Amino acid sequence: MNFKTLLASTAIAATATTGALAGKADDTLKMAFQRELESVDIYYNSAREGILLARALWDSLLYRDPVSGEYKGNLATEWTWVDDVTLELKLREGVTFHNGEPFNADDVVYTVNYVTNPDSNVKVVKNVSWMDHAEKVDDYTVRIILKAPFPPAEEFLAGPVVIYPNEYYEEVGPAGMALKPIGTGPYKMAELEPGKHYLLELNDNYFGGPKGKGSIGKIDIETIPDINTQVAELFNGELDYLWNVPADQTEKLDGLGKYNVENAQAMRIGYIAMDAAGSVDPEGPMTNKLVRQAIYHAIDRQAIVDALVKGSSIVVNSACAPIQFGCEQDLTSYDYDPEKAKALLAEAGYPDGFEIDFYAYRNRPYAEAMMGFLNEVGITTNFNYLKYAALREKRTKDEVAISFQTWGSYSLADASAITGEFFTGGVLDDAMDAEVIDWIKEADSTGDKEKRKGLYSKALKKIADEAYWVPLWTYNVNYVMSPDVAYTPTNDEIVRFFDISWN
Amino acid sequence: MTDTTTELEPVVTATDQSKPLTPRQAMVRRALRHKGLLFGSAVILAIVFIAVFAPFLTEHDPFKQSLLARMKPPVFMGGDENHVLGTDALGRDYWARLAYGARISLMIGLLAAVISGLIGSTMGIMAGYFGGRVDTVVTFLINVRLAMPVVLVALAVVALFGGSLMVVVSVLGLLLWDRFAVVLRSATMQVRKQEYVAAAEVLGASLPRILIKDILPNVMNHLIVIFTLEMAHAIILEAALSFLGLGVQPPTPSWGLMISEGKEMLLFEPWMITIPGIALFLLVLAINMMGDGIRDVTAPEGRN
Repeated sequence: MNFKTLLASTAIAATATTGALAGKADDTLKMAFQRELESVDIYYNSAREGILLARALWDSLLYRDPVSGEYKGNLATEWTWVDDVTLELKLREGVTFHNGEPFNADDVVYTVNYVTNPDSNVKVVKNVSWMDHAEKVDDYTVRIILKAPFPPAEEFLAGPVVIYPNEYYEEVGPAGMALKPIGTGPYKMAELEPGKHYLLELNDNYFGGPKGKGSIGKIDIETIPDINTQVAELFNGELDYLWNVPADQTEKLDGLGKYNVENAQAMRIGYIAMDAAGSVDPEGPMTNKLVRQAIYHAIDRQAIVDALVKGSSIVVNSACAPIQFGCEQDLTSYDYDPEKAKALLAEAGYPDGFEIDFYAYRNRPYAEAMMGFLNEVGITTNFNYLKYAALREKRTKDEVAISFQTWGSYSLADASAITGEFFTGGVLDDAMDAEVIDWIKEADSTGDKEKRKGLYSKALKKIADEAYWVPLWTYNVNYVMSPDVAYTPTNDEIVRFFDISWN
Repeated sequence: MTDTTTELEPVVTATDQSKPLTPRQAMVRRALRHKGLLFGSAVILAIVFIAVFAPFLTEHDPFKQSLLARMKPPVFMGGDENHVLGTDALGRDYWARLAYGARISLMIGLLAAVISGLIGSTMGIMAGYFGGRVDTVVTFLINVRLAMPVVLVALAVVALFGGSLMVVVSVLGLLLWDRFAVVLRSATMQVRKQEYVAAAEVLGASLPRILIKDILPNVMNHLIVIFTLEMAHAIILEAALSFLGLGVQPPTPSWGLMISEGKEMLLFEPWMITIPGIALFLLVLAINMMGDGIRDVTAPEGRN
């Protein structure tokens, strides 16, 4: 090989590499997921990554404008309440699914009836259990019949309840949908390697409802669990868009001045779940209200927010996100007071503290800091750090007495999205407080806004008084983007791919 | 395998031909001239010293977090003298954690090697001495053990029983005996054929006496070498398990855990991972060098 050919081949190799560097040049936005998504079928996963993909691949009947909060027609164009429990929707005509199947009333009826059927075993029952069934009126009119009046119905119809193609889903089922998802959304799945790689392609036939048509041609998502690898890939230009970047890294990246760094609130809150009802251990320390209050007093939540969580996060005292409807803020709070915590433990019969397994699935440093505070008042913690799915399963099997949890409420701006999941006697209800269950169930099915508010307030106040949870803080999300990328994040932790564009 | 009986003969060195040295003198001389052995022993002594006297070497509590003093850089990177090696992501003193972490590493290494040494050498000596069916059974057990991937089994067991110091020590101790068994089996086979063993048998010495007084001392140098090897092996495995989040659990200061926690800030604060990394590297290197040195010194013919 002479010098010229060497030069030439090097040049070719160099251009090839630049070609591989994604970005604006080949209209491909490269981003990463930190966690493996179990299934793309939105009814069979409960992960944030799944919600992101769902918003791009499928459409719900309504759409909530993230800025104004106003509900707009999406797959439905008009909707009217026939009575308290019957909602009639006129559907958009001329919409087709990615596989060419036309969208009509049959799809809506099929989807609603499928997900509300208990045999379908959808993952987050709360998202759909308020509906009883759907009926077809004509090809483009459907009625959704509720089990009981459910005020936040529109919020749910604009969020997690997305419409599946009836013929396709009947044929392939959840397993097929997870491998080749078909929806009406602004993006379609071009390539998919479960848990590893997703390539979204702009849907040229998109009807362009309130979501808009989307502007970036391809979105290439890879699962990269390690944040340092993600940052290194950003440096190399192999990734254009990072989200959920830890606060420390974000500060450093912002300091470089080369990237677009944004911070937005999330609806997610952190909390410590405790086995108050004694379903793990009827005699366990967590069943004692004084112990739970001691744990509350032992943890300096403000210090953790200031030092570790950072961003726009705030400490919360209520078992919900402050921006959710009905999230009472005027209730008992417990300040950081380790001496009081020790006194309460002694009063509860644990003057020397006790030893307990402490579980967590994300934000390991936060968990370690909390354990540090607990250790200071004499509670010895054996740390168990599990994957989300594993911890959730252990919790449903009543094997977890105390754990650090978070809940994003499916980005639903209503207290029912969190209290309904954890305080209505379900498998994840650690309190099993009959009064609280009654109040929340009543609130969930009451039309009168003021009355609902009053009921949630009563329930949340009792949750605080009894210290069933230790609510911790709101989350925030850091977005770090290459300077080519334009995106204004919203306060709900959802990355709307169709709102991202090139600068 | 080296013939261990030769060490009883006096060794005449090139520099000192006037008067033959006693075996012990010769060994000491060889030891003092062995740079690897000296270096290894010095480093280990230093680490043992740090581990034992940790409370006197730092005024900081390795468990005490201070969220206001997070990720302070070490002195050589512009930090202040209060935290010589800086602080970790929760504001705990890095030097204190490193010093107390040495206890964990040494303890795990020692205990795991003792457990596996007891199991492995018993099996090896039995197989080598009795031969026949005992040998067949032991060889079979060794093969079974060798067929199991250590890290995988350790991960599975720790995942099942939860990660704690005792679980990690027991798992490693119960897994790392194969080398003891293999080496001591063949070493014993050689020693067994020696006349002094036959003489002891003829004189009517009891079996335990023969095994302990005649066989064991003559395979001891192999035992020491394998012991150091396995100790280093156990320390590395503990660090690996802790790094994967399945070993010693926080807030226990463990070097592997420190590396795992430092990984978060690998790009921006690389010292958080290099400090415990260097400590671990030094300890394992020193143990290996000491092991090699002991082998060279006690069995000069085996050198190189």
